[in-house]
Amino acid sequence: MEIKDISFSYQDKVKRLHHVEAEITIGQITTIIGPNGSGKSTLLGVLTNNHQPQAGQVILDGKAINKYKPKELAKKLGVVHQQNTAPADMTVEKLVHYGRLPHKNTFSGKVDKDDEMVEWALECTGLYEKRNDAIDTLSGGQQQRVWIAMALAQDTPFLFLDEPTSNLDIYYQYEILELVKQLCEEHGLTIVMVLHDINQAIQYSHHIIAMKQGKLIEKGNPKKIVTKQMIQEIYGVNVVVKNDDDVGMYIVPLGI
Amino acid sequence: MYKKMISFIVVIGLLLVVSLYSMITGSIEITAGELFKGLFTGTNENVEIIKDLRLPRIVIALFAGAALAVSGVLLQAVMRNPLAEPGIIGVSSGAGFASIIMITFFPTLFFYTPLFSFIGGAIAFLLVYMFSWKSGLNPLRMILIGVAINAVFTGLSELTSSMNASSMMSGISVTSSTLTMKTWDDVQVIVLYGSIGLILAFLVYAWCNHLGLRDKTLKNLGFSVNRARFVISIIAVLLASIATAIAGMFTFVGLLIPHIGRALVGNDHKLLIPFSAAAGALLILTADTLGRTLFSPIEIPASIIVAVIGGPFLIFLLRKSDRIYGN
Repeated sequence: MEIKDISFSYQDKVKRLHHVEAEITIGQITTIIGPNGSGKSTLLGVLTNNHQPQAGQVILDGKAINKYKPKELAKKLGVVHQQNTAPADMTVEKLVHYGRLPHKNTFSGKVDKDDEMVEWALECTGLYEKRNDAIDTLSGGQQQRVWIAMALAQDTPFLFLDEPTSNLDIYYQYEILELVKQLCEEHGLTIVMVLHDINQAIQYSHHIIAMKQGKLIEKGNPKKIVTKQMIQEIYGVNVVVKNDDDVGMYIVPLGI
Repeated sequence: MYKKMISFIVVIGLLLVVSLYSMITGSIEITAGELFKGLFTGTNENVEIIKDLRLPRIVIALFAGAALAVSGVLLQAVMRNPLAEPGIIGVSSGAGFASIIMITFFPTLFFYTPLFSFIGGAIAFLLVYMFSWKSGLNPLRMILIGVAINAVFTGLSELTSSMNASSMMSGISVTSSTLTMKTWDDVQVIVLYGSIGLILAFLVYAWCNHLGLRDKTLKNLGFSVNRARFVISIIAVLLASIATAIAGMFTFVGLLIPHIGRALVGNDHKLLIPFSAAAGALLILTADTLGRTLFSPIEIPASIIVAVIGGPFLIFLLRKSDRIYGN
């Protein structure tokens, strides 16, 4: 997937993205980081065709994403948004079945493949036992996994996650990140996500895209691009970057 | 599941009982036996009168109730707003205003009243939608705009009817409904369009369910949110307009019944739509039957009974469950 010279503004005409240029490597995890208002989520919105850029294109398999029919695109891109709503009494299984929508016609019924994918999605996300529970009886971490399961049932090669760990306790954060890693390694999904935690981004990504004020500041392998200077420039936070033989690379914030 | 089945059985059972009671009670009283015998043989004079005067009224009450309740369900789904209801957001008053205009200025085109009502309802709905679009269909704003649109159309209707007070307007009341003086022609219209609307409503139950998710999520599933919204809205306006054109203004039914429905059979529209249709029919028929029997020979308009019973019941329901709709 190629991101070509994207510029974007909302109706208020303030430019939120300035000439962003990047590429998403197939079969790997790319993480977008940056401070609040840097345009991370906006970029994710453009990549998933939720926002139409004023200039530039996102090319997927040789075709601009806004040229795809909605259902065709939905067979390629699965998206887990930051905020989600569902009727409180809907069961996990029913909700996950919504992931099969792009593969259906308006009035066609269920087919075996639908059940197969839903089973798989429930297994992957560890929700098999909870399948008949109502959404509002689940914990925050479980609910997040339900939405991921729905995107998985969509059976797409790409999976986009907008801050999948926000509002979760640290255990559940890592549970989600481990799931993401497993989906990439075992099932070959290409993953693009937005994260707040820089250490999690370093630990779980093959590539990092670092944004500030709508501009792409740095992109590439986290081991190469994450430096004291880079973090200072983007976040304005003073950090030390450490390398440990056991845990790999990590940063420790010292102050501002 | 058990609770849902019981709810259905109780409502349908009550519907049958009240329908029968309504047929045999009133200024002419007969027994159920006489009624059935008369219906088949056609020799009982009282039964013939009931067939001409009481039966049309019952059928209209049933269809108006079903149409208004289902219209409420659909509007709530489209607007993702638990307060959306044809009476509150001005669809009914728009439809009512159009039919008053129609009857005042073009009485010869009486046959097209449903069409005019539909256009009036659609305009009111469009206005609400347009004015609240900018706020991203913010629920509170949408209701406030709906209330304003409703006030305007109600005012216009009252203006038109007070200017024509001397003429033949007495048959139509602006803010309430009486089901007296209904004929089999009225029945034909409401049964035809009402059935079409109800069937269509049931056919789009899956879309109504989809709209329980966010627009963004649906878009990423390749679901065309705008098309679904448009189609469901048209069906909702059709149902509300036809009910208003034939039976007059009823507020509350489209609000009260769907909420009761959600509490009893859940948010799945596959059950909620048929349940609301049955419960709405039951409510208006009960109200109308009480209205004409309680203080006979004085008739109380059914809409007044609905409001008097419905208000306290809704408050009771809201106090009981804080989980009303969605999350």
